[in-house]
Amino acid sequence: MTELAQNLIDGLGRGSIYALLALGVAVIFGVMHLLNFAHGEMITVSGYASLWALNAGWSWWLVAPLILVVSVVTSLVIERVAFSRVRGASDFTLLLTSFGVHFVVSAVFLLYVSASVKNFSRPSWISSSTWAIGSLRIETFDTVVILVTIVTLVATTLLLQRTMFGLALRAAAADFDTARLMGVKSDSVIRGAFALSGLLAGIAGVFWLMRAGSTTPSAGIDPMLKAVLAALIGGLGSLRGAVIGGFVLGIAEVLLRSWLPDSIAGLTEGVVFALIAVLFIFRPGGIITVATAERV
Amino acid sequence: MLTKLFPRPGRDIGFPLVGVAMLLALLVGGGTLYQTILGGGAPERLVTVMLIDAIIVIGIQIYIGNTGVLSFGHIGFGAVAGYVFATIAITPAEKLKRIPDAPFGLVDVDASPYVAIAAAVVVALIGAFILGIGLARSGAESGAVAATVITLALLFVTHEVARNWPDLTGGDRAGLAFEIGGKLDDRLPIIVTLAIALILARLYATSRSGRLAIAAREDNLAARAMGVNPLVQQMVALLLSVGVVAVGSSLRVWHAGSILPNQFFFDYALLTLVMLIVGGRNSVTGAVVGVIVMTAGREFARRMGQDGFEFFGIGLDEAPLDWVFRENLQTVFLGVSMLAFMIWRPVGILDDWELDSWLRRRFSSGDEPKPEPLPELDDYAHQTLEARDIHMQFGGFTALTDARIDATTGQIVGIIGPNGAGKTTFVNVLTGVITPTGGSFSIDGKDLTGIASYRLARHGLVRTFQNLRLFGSLTVRENVEVAALVANDHRTERTRRDTDSLIAEAGLWEHRDRRARELDYGNSRRLELARAAAMAPSFLLLDEPTSGMSDSESLEMVEQVRHMAATIGAGVIVIDHDLGFITGISDVIFAFDTGRVIATGTPEQVQADPLVRAAYLGGSAPA
Repeated sequence: MTELAQNLIDGLGRGSIYALLALGVAVIFGVMHLLNFAHGEMITVSGYASLWALNAGWSWWLVAPLILVVSVVTSLVIERVAFSRVRGASDFTLLLTSFGVHFVVSAVFLLYVSASVKNFSRPSWISSSTWAIGSLRIETFDTVVILVTIVTLVATTLLLQRTMFGLALRAAAADFDTARLMGVKSDSVIRGAFALSGLLAGIAGVFWLMRAGSTTPSAGIDPMLKAVLAALIGGLGSLRGAVIGGFVLGIAEVLLRSWLPDSIAGLTEGVVFALIAVLFIFRPGGIITVATAERV
Repeated sequence: MLTKLFPRPGRDIGFPLVGVAMLLALLVGGGTLYQTILGGGAPERLVTVMLIDAIIVIGIQIYIGNTGVLSFGHIGFGAVAGYVFATIAITPAEKLKRIPDAPFGLVDVDASPYVAIAAAVVVALIGAFILGIGLARSGAESGAVAATVITLALLFVTHEVARNWPDLTGGDRAGLAFEIGGKLDDRLPIIVTLAIALILARLYATSRSGRLAIAAREDNLAARAMGVNPLVQQMVALLLSVGVVAVGSSLRVWHAGSILPNQFFFDYALLTLVMLIVGGRNSVTGAVVGVIVMTAGREFARRMGQDGFEFFGIGLDEAPLDWVFRENLQTVFLGVSMLAFMIWRPVGILDDWELDSWLRRRFSSGDEPKPEPLPELDDYAHQTLEARDIHMQFGGFTALTDARIDATTGQIVGIIGPNGAGKTTFVNVLTGVITPTGGSFSIDGKDLTGIASYRLARHGLVRTFQNLRLFGSLTVRENVEVAALVANDHRTERTRRDTDSLIAEAGLWEHRDRRARELDYGNSRRLELARAAAMAPSFLLLDEPTSGMSDSESLEMVEQVRHMAATIGAGVIVIDHDLGFITGISDVIFAFDTGRVIATGTPEQVQADPLVRAAYLGGSAPA
């Protein structure tokens, strides 16, 4: 019982990061029908920015806001350079465009930094500091991650529910063409969505990079895959679903890692992906199915 | 006499074979020329790698090109095939050294590489079949995007497994290697495989399954309305495609002499996709061109990135350009190519231009006699369609209460009603878009309520769409032939008319080889009618056939519909808001209001009906 509770808390910590990433993917999918395979690039670029800053002697208290800024700027630049040119294109084109963005970004770091893993110092409290409730040992890091995620999700919900931008974004996600006819400016909504998505990825990125303590040109693949899968598990197009999907994915990973025998523990991710495939055979629309009846 | 649809020896076999021979000559001849001019081992290796890449890219083209679904998973299947091949083909002595604890008694297996390739294909196909079911289900529900993510997940699963199962794969760093001398240094098996891959790819695209898959790629909804079950055709394409990729991947491992998890991962998925996309994914010729262009470009970029690169004697590796000409330049080249083509030319260099189709247009005899006019059918089996007590409730809102119609073949039945009368809901019930909460409809007593739209079409109820859905990049003739292909299998009990004659009857003979998306509005409408007629339906359901038409065009449409229905002996159910059109065309009219039938009879009777007048003109109905 204690072990299960322990795993659930660990899973919440991991799932929080996935939820933030997946929410960013879902926001973009809502306004552009683009499943963003370049969503991890914010973390790649932030990773190299952190590497530079930490080597220059910055403390993590300064690096964290730097990551947020870099992440938002990266997201907006990618939108401007690539995605703004393929708006309204077919799914196929959109997917490959984001895939192309991923490869250009990673190739640039390959060209100008190197292919090898670059390490930087992690905050000292990250793996050592814990506190306890009864027999449960909770990492301070997980606690921070979960609290920040809750605050972020509440703030995002308020943003979406209470502001004009949020209303425009939700309207655009529900029916982009009608929203435009109703006077929603597509440019500003899409840019706003990319900024929001970049900010969410930045918050997740701070934790991701703190924990990883390293970066490589292809560092974006892993967070991107988790984000995309979480969004898909939750049900593509649903913001709530994306958050739920993120937590489900995080908890599933932690539980499987503790349940699988040691000999195949390395295959945890493989098993998770296989389970997702099975989920899709039985529930092809994800957890929250968004009705997308085509008008005929 | 029906025009033979498939296979026509010249169109479907002769010209494709000639085209394949020319493409093969281009790849092999060009490669040989290149390595002879440059000489040495490196160019020879480059050409061999290009030929193997070509096999894999053509394999991927069979799926992506014909179904339009983006897949990363093929390289995952390549990894599966590569490992099956390696673990079988490597000599027992070598296996004892590298993977002594291999499962399934693989250590003792001593088989020829060709047996290993066969095993690799079988295992990959089993995997593809299982994945295909998942793809079909999620793709049908959440669209092609979900299917793409699943293929991406597959790529990661195979990679994770390869890295974390060292007993089988030698793990992440050591990998599996052939002992010296085990490598493939003979090019013949590669060329033979390439030839077979090219032939399969072209023959598939012109085959029945291929043409139905392409129709679904162009418009999934319209294909289903023509009786095509896209999931079946996508599965066929997937299996064929994975089979080719499996052989290609085995050859790749054989030629490299080793396999590591990273050889079949993201980078290779990108490389093969860029080749396919740049050349033109919808064409086999495009795939070949893409392989050549990207191999050459990448090699050139790699050389430019090397230290001391010179171009016509000018050293470019110095300032001010040394920031460009750096190592790994070829990776940037790949990424930028992908992005640039997606932004400026997503269809690739060749789009769907195909060498053998071009040859056929160029060299086959140009004059086709216009088909004789078709006599109207006067001898056909009469069938009846009945819809009874159709009830449809959306939450608390009742859209239909006890709606009904009757129709028989040879009759034109009109449905009218003011906005909100429930016409659209009724059409949605009849076309299988929604299942009614009560009631049923049937043709000749066979209950068709709530069945899938492609089955509905096969049972003889074929619809057209209010907002025109043609297979845009297919020609007029190909559009009609898709329907005829399905009719040949599923509508054998009714008289099927010749496709060319139907095209001529619809007044589209001069346009027969034009793409559907190039047609003007009126011709598009006529094509949709001809395509539906080629299904040999018992009943045609026309959803607002005159929307967007002028009055004179509507009048012409009346004649068109009457004539087409008589030519195939079908009944017609037509829904339109244009009262003049409906009264002009119908033998019987059902007038709807507030979800029920308020009047029925001949046009004159219905027009005179006080309830109908009240519904249309307002005011209260006489007591």
